[in-house]
Amino acid sequence: MPTPATQIAGDPLSPAKNRGSQGALPLTAKQIAAADQSGDDKSALSGVDVTNVRLLGLVMNKVERVTDCSFTLDDGTGRIDINRWINEAPDANEVTAIQNGIYVKVHGHLKGFHSKRHAFAFSVRPVTDFNEVVLHFIECIFVHTEIKKIRGGGSAEIPTNLTVASSFPNGAKEYRAPSHQFSAYVAMDGPGNNIYNIVWGVFQEPANLGRENGLHVDEIVRKLGIPKNTVINAINYLVDVGHIYSTVDEHHFKSAYNG
Amino acid sequence: MDTSSPAVFVNAEILKMYLGRRVRAVIQVIRNDAGVIVGQSTDGNQITVKGAQAFPPSHFVEVIGIADGSQSIRAEICTDFGQSFDMAAYNGLCQLANGKFKNLFL
Repeated sequence: MPTPATQIAGDPLSPAKNRGSQGALPLTAKQIAAADQSGDDKSALSGVDVTNVRLLGLVMNKVERVTDCSFTLDDGTGRIDINRWINEAPDANEVTAIQNGIYVKVHGHLKGFHSKRHAFAFSVRPVTDFNEVVLHFIECIFVHTEIKKIRGGGSAEIPTNLTVASSFPNGAKEYRAPSHQFSAYVAMDGPGNNIYNIVWGVFQEPANLGRENGLHVDEIVRKLGIPKNTVINAINYLVDVGHIYSTVDEHHFKSAYNG
Repeated sequence: MDTSSPAVFVNAEILKMYLGRRVRAVIQVIRNDAGVIVGQSTDGNQITVKGAQAFPPSHFVEVIGIADGSQSIRAEICTDFGQSFDMAAYNGLCQLANGKFKNLFL
């Protein structure tokens, strides 16, 4: 998921500053290759400087040595070489579980350029629930659209989450709930119109971001002039989706972004 | 990096557009007929899979192979996805991966 750290890491002024704190972005092999081909590391990834990635695919051509294990990961969109160093006994166990032809989920660090592009894996786990395969690619799509939105690039061509939801003709109802959940992200781009966005907007005001203890519930009630229950509901929701967190007591909350 | 032979996410409807190309589909096994698996695609149509070993009926199986007919795949790799799999989600992914977000996959 595009975390605050991802956004900061994408800032051209501080390319390396947050390298270590950046989350692992779910990507397809095609996305990595496309970024390489354009000669610009950042184009296909919408301007985000990516180092840590999450990949999922089939294991091929596994070669196990004493010090490391290498294999080719085929995720159906392309193939990329993966290397896993064996430092301790648990690493060796993990490597033993990797077999040709099985699905694995890889968290790793992208290295090299162009055709030499490969990844050093931190972890390689066999997939046991195959719904994860679908989930991974849906996450790739989701993160792609969110990054584009956050970067403000090509928002005209990027569908809203509601459009994505409506692409499921038979399952529109089931998918409506998550799409609504993402509406708080939309608030980052501009003024929203539902209560979550309005409350979220208060937390995002620069003066409030800088306050160590965050905001008291009553302050928001006074500022917005809306019923306390409504504000508390919105706050609970924003806490659940991870946009804000409680600070010194259960009445104070602070934005999880940039603060 | 090698992106020369991608496997396209397909359901029965999308399969027709990729004749002769490498595709991937999930089917629910209906029966095994002498080396040919007959299964239901994620959009509810029938697909036959040649060249695969037999799988237990009702299991979900992912087939990666060449689309050699409008309702048929010649299998290269088959993976048993077990007995619990969300076909609707996979079908939605097929549509996204061949529509708006094709550039992330092909």
